[in-house]
Amino acid sequence: MKTGIKIILTGLMLMIAHPALADLKVATSLSDLASVAQFVGGKHVTAISLCKGYEDPHFVLAKPSLMKAIQDADVFVSVGLELDGGWLPLVIPGSRNPKIQPGAKGFIDASEGIEVLDKPVGTVSRAEGDIHPLGNPHYYTDPKNLEIVANHLAAIFGELDPDNAADYQANAKAFDERMDKSLKEWQAELKPYKGSFVVTYHENFKYFTDRFGLKVFGTVESKPGIPPSPRYLEETSAAMKNAGVKVVLYQPYYDADTAQQLAKKADGAAYEMPNEVGGVPEAKDVFSKFDVIVSALVKAFGGK
Amino acid sequence: MSSRFKLFTFIFSLFCIPVLSQAQTRSIISNLANPAIGMSALFLGQAAPDLNTPGANGPSFQEAELSVISTVDPLWTLAGNFTFNASTGVAEEAYAITDSIPSIQFKVGEFRALFGKHGTLHTHAFPFIQAPIIMSNTIGEEGFKNAGMEASWMTPLPWYCELTAGGYAPIANDATGAANHPLNFNSPSHDNIPYLAHLKNLFDVDDDTTLELGASDLTGMGDDGLHHAVYGADFTLRNVPLQKSNQAGWILQSEYLKKVSYTTGVYNQETDGWYASFQNRLGQEWWAGVRVEEAFNAVADVNVNPTDTYLAGHVQRASANIAWLPSEFSEMKLEYGIARNDSNQVDNRVMLQFNYIIGFHPPHAY
Repeated sequence: MKTGIKIILTGLMLMIAHPALADLKVATSLSDLASVAQFVGGKHVTAISLCKGYEDPHFVLAKPSLMKAIQDADVFVSVGLELDGGWLPLVIPGSRNPKIQPGAKGFIDASEGIEVLDKPVGTVSRAEGDIHPLGNPHYYTDPKNLEIVANHLAAIFGELDPDNAADYQANAKAFDERMDKSLKEWQAELKPYKGSFVVTYHENFKYFTDRFGLKVFGTVESKPGIPPSPRYLEETSAAMKNAGVKVVLYQPYYDADTAQQLAKKADGAAYEMPNEVGGVPEAKDVFSKFDVIVSALVKAFGGK
Repeated sequence: MSSRFKLFTFIFSLFCIPVLSQAQTRSIISNLANPAIGMSALFLGQAAPDLNTPGANGPSFQEAELSVISTVDPLWTLAGNFTFNASTGVAEEAYAITDSIPSIQFKVGEFRALFGKHGTLHTHAFPFIQAPIIMSNTIGEEGFKNAGMEASWMTPLPWYCELTAGGYAPIANDATGAANHPLNFNSPSHDNIPYLAHLKNLFDVDDDTTLELGASDLTGMGDDGLHHAVYGADFTLRNVPLQKSNQAGWILQSEYLKKVSYTTGVYNQETDGWYASFQNRLGQEWWAGVRVEEAFNAVADVNVNPTDTYLAGHVQRASANIAWLPSEFSEMKLEYGIARNDSNQVDNRVMLQFNYIIGFHPPHAY
């Protein structure tokens, strides 16, 4: 065989080969789930998220490169409750990976076992905006819910990789213990502000406020997915003034100008807040994400 | 349908049986917020012993009506009644896909062939109200739609590289020779299986930008004894800042298509043309776009002579539009287009389009 052909064939082999770096290749639709999966999987797992932390999880584009990224995944963890319903129906079948198709063992709905808030009562209508018909899917803003996810993942990882099942269980237990310890510290930091109101851009902070005794006064957007009209901003800012609400929270992927405009009208201030891991550079995993959120809230309430 | 095509379909069906038997509930597909749906159907049994015309005696299906109504978003409600009968009941697309075979996806049924970029779009997803002129002169204004099967393979190369091969039932071109089926693939020869070859490459230039390059070939035999083919090449550069994926971004796209016919020693380029478009997202609710295009030896509205018959010729057109999307589920689009041919005939037009979606609608391809 000529040398040139050998070089070309070797190059092709190197391009095609996927060395096994871990026992389980895990992909998730949300960065928080990838973070939890990495804690639970430890050295046996490589976890990636298709949605970056600074990307709006409602509007992820179904790029073919996302399909490529999960072509060889062993496990796919969906956030569930239809938060990723706008793009997963293209990306999952497009991966041509039978291991992670819905119904297969490798497809996990992380919302299983979560006590879901804001389930619509009665008829579901889009006159109320782009509502989530199965309830609020932003459960990952409650640290306790991530413990449920961790235990769920440990069970499934153990089924798929029985040799390391004990490690997954031990890692999940360690995750729970660390989260419980951290939660106590975060709750202590926010205790002085219990009962305080915040305005959030979208209804995506409810699980956090419920856990920490805060209250959501309203949202910047008039209805889910519907930008606010000038009249709505006037009415909301007037109501905030009357109630003395001065803190507006928004995520990096929302329109900062609108949030700041509302806060200014209400004589308050708007604060950028990561809801997901990677939302800001300091939020490197689920623990540091909550560190960042709690610090920002302490600063926001302290300045009121 | 040729005997070879039938045999191919039969073998493929046997291959699919184990896949279909493992069908799973697709929890990632929502059925919530679907519209109120109603359906009625009429069937008739008739005895008319004095008549000998076909269908005069025996059972028959008269019609079925599908009614839907739902709120679109805070601004709109959409309702529709759709009647199907033996003469009008045409399904635009009805197909099944496999998801149990690694790296390869099979598609079988009646569907749009995976040719190029614009030819794969549903009408409501067109970026401009009018399809490019070259589309209706090559594979069809709404792409090439027919019964068939496709296999698409995601290659193991480091970037997204997809190879698709398809085979379809023979089909006649429209009587007008334009619009939906400009291709004559109607040879009765047993070896006439119109086929598709499609290559799609997508590269992530960075987190926000993708470059897509594609090539397509659709070939079959006509009842005129000639091979008929359309070749296409497409280019798309798309930028969507991940942090503002619902507020900003732009798409630069261009496509070239050529329709030919040939047989031994004879090659005839029937028509060719291109378009180039730029769409820019101005905000969460606003898009704007411009497009220029050119087609040679093409049939277009501007190429009409005084007796109202269409003539093929050289056409250029420019279009500009602006779209308002108050929610994900409704859109209003205002578009201006000006077309001109070599005789200096001009087609100026302004269009306003309303677009609504209710219930579950599958996400559009990237």
